[in-house]
Amino acid sequence: MDFDLGEQAAALRTRLRELIATHVAEDSLGAFTDDPADLDAAQRFCRVLADEGLLTIAWPTDVGGGGGSLWDQTVVREEMWAHHEPRGAQYMGLNWVGPAIMAFGTEAQRHQHLPAIAAGEVIWCQGFSEPDAGSDLASLATRATADGDGWRISGQKVWTSYAGMAQWCVLAARVGEGSRHEGITMFLVPMDAPGITVRPIASMLGPHHLNEVFLDDVLVGPDAVLGEVGGGWAVIRRALAHERVGIARYARCERLLSALGRELAPRWDDLPPALHAQWARALVQVRVARLLAYRTVHAQATGEVPDALASAARIAITQCDQAVAEVLFEALGATSLEAGSSAPLHGAIEDHWRYAQAATVASGTIEVQRMIVSKALLAGAGP
Amino acid sequence: MNPVLPDEAAERGATATEAVAAPGGVDVARRAEADPSVRAEVAATLDALGLADLDPRADALTLAAAAALCEAAGRVALPYPVAGALLADGEGRPLAVVPDESAPVDHGDLFPEWRVATIGGTGGVGTPVGARRAARLAPFVTDLSVGAGDPPPPADVALHLALTACLVLGTVDRAVELAVEHVTGRVQFGKPLSAFQAVQFQLADCAVAVAGLRELAHFTLWRIDTDPDPLADVLALRLQALDVARSVLRTTQQLHGAAGVCDEYDISVLARLVQPALRLPWGAERTASELASAIERDGFAGLFPHGRAAG
Repeated sequence: MDFDLGEQAAALRTRLRELIATHVAEDSLGAFTDDPADLDAAQRFCRVLADEGLLTIAWPTDVGGGGGSLWDQTVVREEMWAHHEPRGAQYMGLNWVGPAIMAFGTEAQRHQHLPAIAAGEVIWCQGFSEPDAGSDLASLATRATADGDGWRISGQKVWTSYAGMAQWCVLAARVGEGSRHEGITMFLVPMDAPGITVRPIASMLGPHHLNEVFLDDVLVGPDAVLGEVGGGWAVIRRALAHERVGIARYARCERLLSALGRELAPRWDDLPPALHAQWARALVQVRVARLLAYRTVHAQATGEVPDALASAARIAITQCDQAVAEVLFEALGATSLEAGSSAPLHGAIEDHWRYAQAATVASGTIEVQRMIVSKALLAGAGP
Repeated sequence: MNPVLPDEAAERGATATEAVAAPGGVDVARRAEADPSVRAEVAATLDALGLADLDPRADALTLAAAAALCEAAGRVALPYPVAGALLADGEGRPLAVVPDESAPVDHGDLFPEWRVATIGGTGGVGTPVGARRAARLAPFVTDLSVGAGDPPPPADVALHLALTACLVLGTVDRAVELAVEHVTGRVQFGKPLSAFQAVQFQLADCAVAVAGLRELAHFTLWRIDTDPDPLADVLALRLQALDVARSVLRTTQQLHGAAGVCDEYDISVLARLVQPALRLPWGAERTASELASAIERDGFAGLFPHGRAAG
């Protein structure tokens, strides 16, 4: 057994922290704030990473990527999330839209989209969930109808992150009369196409995270189809596979728990002993979540990831996020509700608490994860 | 990076699990409660397994094998102080970690002398005084009287805490298996209990907790092998083991219905006989408090510095 990620990963972590220290404001809470300047800062930081070859470190070398290992990718995920995802919305394009286009796209699609994603120049959103298709994604009802050699798309998407700022959308729509997985087709749709309306959804997460997207007879050409007509479920499965481990939420948890004592000094020693114990417990929970994530990455690196293991990791990681949010708030006491740059840790803890409330819902609810784990367990193959 | 137990340790673990379970599984514990001399048979089984040659202090592989043996013991509530015996000194005196000068020790009556340690670094040589308590949650716990002698080294105390956590891992892992068996076979309202989502979700949470504890145990064994002072790590493992045991045993007993508290079902015997490991030398809250102090003093390995190291 060896839990050391190795020298290459350590050097990468050091370099990323240097770049963050140089190019990201210390009080930054990421791109999704009420201040549009934060979006610009994220775009600038993406270009810095692109210039260093770090934006596409996970991509294969034959498409200009860094050919980094899964452990390199893990380090990037951890450092970016720990520091409030200074890439903004770019992770979606980098993590799965780009790889999906590599796997399923035509030569023209690859040529059109991959360089733009690699340069950090374009923001993508993901049109999957619908009002009546959440956890049960295969029941989606947005419909694409053949029109000449192209398609007309109508329907409604919901919870679509970054739809208001995205230039492109990977959209799942139904073609033909098939039910469930049959007929689902993926389209690459420019968000400025006539017929698309985006309505932001006010939420405790803050701006840009959640939107409704209305599609009213949106006309796209034949070249908009990604993969086979009716073959969209395979693309979705690939997208979800990229989310197997999910966000490295544990990394931000650990960073905030690390900073807590400094922030509270000298009051740290005056906290009730029970809170010190809770802080220690939270650090253990963070460690366990990270180790389950590593176990999943290891499985990915050596073969197939068992569904139950990936879901177990997600359950641990998302519950850890919420538990840590509570410990941090308890430690801050009355100042926990303050927001903005004058708040404790520049508002990072208040921001974390709000965002953590969606952790057990986003990208697959904890209920679905539990269904996956229990199904495997009852079949004799637990996590 | 490789979080998987080495093949050789896994094989030795499988062998230990089989050998420890072969004489009758949890029935051995039932028999020992009725007749404590049965523990001599257990000692013979462990001798045959080569316990005396399995020194967890030797190297990483032997430590992993020792941990696997403790896990195997935990799966059947093996009536023997395996962790302490693995850490015996050259004179065959097993190690006990105790809360303070009072020294209740599980199976304390089995050896004429013990090496006794507190986490504070004091200790000496312990000898059994009085009879076994013969209590339902502590049928083999015996008080030791602690006399003069060199306190055992802190490294041995750390190993004891880690190996005991591995024993708890074995118990909770088996508890989940037993619950799965029960809810699959037991039919109510015309269907197996396992068909109810409320039951499935509770099982899922238990399985996630046990999987996390297993990863933490492996990580901690690695830390013991690579860090000269792994006290915070082993306290973290103990805390997690205790927290997981509290929730997993509660849930898996509940899923057994009334059978969960009946000794003819293994789950009840496991939940009773693991209690000394969970409460001695101290329970979860005291462990959490000790852990907080250790982290503030020594830090805690991770992605960011903690405690004094964090400034």
